[in-house]
Amino acid sequence: MLLLLAGAVVLSACGASTVTVEGSYPSPNIPPLPMTLGVYYSDALRNHVYTERTDAGKDEYLVNSGGSHIELFNTVLPAMFQQVIVLDDLAMANERGVDAVFIPNIDEFQLGMPQKTRLDSYEVWVKYNMRLTEPGGDYIADWVMTAYGKTAQSTFGGAEGGINDAAVAAMRDLASNFSISFTSVPDVRDWLQPRLQ
Amino acid sequence: MKITSKTMAGLLRAGIYLIVALTAGLGLGACTTTTIDEFRQGDTGINTGESIVILGRRQGAAYETGADFVECVGNRMGRGNGAITVVPEQTFVDALFPWFEPRTAPMRSEDLQQLMAQPLVTDKMAEFGVRYIVWLDGQTETSNRMGSISCAVGPGGGGCFGFGSWEDDSSFEARIWDVSSHTAVGTISADASGQSYVPAVFVPIPLIARVEANACNSLADQLKQFVIGG
Repeated sequence: MLLLLAGAVVLSACGASTVTVEGSYPSPNIPPLPMTLGVYYSDALRNHVYTERTDAGKDEYLVNSGGSHIELFNTVLPAMFQQVIVLDDLAMANERGVDAVFIPNIDEFQLGMPQKTRLDSYEVWVKYNMRLTEPGGDYIADWVMTAYGKTAQSTFGGAEGGINDAAVAAMRDLASNFSISFTSVPDVRDWLQPRLQ
Repeated sequence: MKITSKTMAGLLRAGIYLIVALTAGLGLGACTTTTIDEFRQGDTGINTGESIVILGRRQGAAYETGADFVECVGNRMGRGNGAITVVPEQTFVDALFPWFEPRTAPMRSEDLQQLMAQPLVTDKMAEFGVRYIVWLDGQTETSNRMGSISCAVGPGGGGCFGFGSWEDDSSFEARIWDVSSHTAVGTISADASGQSYVPAVFVPIPLIARVEANACNSLADQLKQFVIGG
């Protein structure tokens, strides 16, 4: 029995830890744009998992942020637009009567661990690709956004908590920047101008 | 080597003397020196029903103003004589999302005017009754770490021996903005420093200088007086 327990402990110590990012995001206080936005979450975004590896190349942490990203966009977008419709399929955009389709994606995810960076904090940096198309799929805008979050390493908190908090801070950074700067993206602004007059 | 009971008693006595000497000698050394500077740019005063919010600056890459320090100053201002209603930082930042995030927060009092032009922001400010925004910026740094303490446990018991010391320096600045006039009305800075010691003869005796706590208390008291005005 003892041998079995010891074996289980050894085996669990060898595997990578999974961090499923969990956080709550406030709704932005901005006037909503008078339009119906369709949003399409790709499988790549929904199931996004970042793998942090040791120097020896072994999986150390699996950061699962897909669910939290969906939660973030589902909180932020309804405050930014009069109506938001989540599309399961891009082909449905025309029949759902949306004005435009928004497709967010994660291009890059980086994690800074205190033991590697020699800093006293956990850091998360994310590069996003944001795409806005006509309901038929024609181009409106395509732009890159970056988000950064960090959290101080606490004496008693584990690495999982630090990674989670840094990821939540990064996503909050994305939400604030996205909600304020959306109408300033040149191609979005050009497309919006005649519709807002 | 044979250790006689006489030698043991001598060692114990020496240890006790050392503890007494270190405690007495370093008790003074664990004190904190705090300096407060105030620069007033405008008249202040706060009415019943009005509140303040204290926010930490977190734009810098090198450091972030600790949330616990912000909370400490707010708690101190919210109690005692002339207590002021302080809106909790996180409640305010969440309610006014996305306008007070590290990337989007107004850096100058002139930016506040632009921000207050947003009806949604004005409404939230009015809801909280915020009259002053206090921006706290600073940190506590530890330097000059010296000494070492070794502890050992054996069948006959255990103990520690050694000596450690370090210096803490807190430097914080509070900038006060008047929400009603959209102007900066003053700046208060608090600098505190102190040396902490941990002598250990069998048992470690920490003589900790409460540097950040002293900076918090002094800054909060000065801020309270400043906001009340008069």
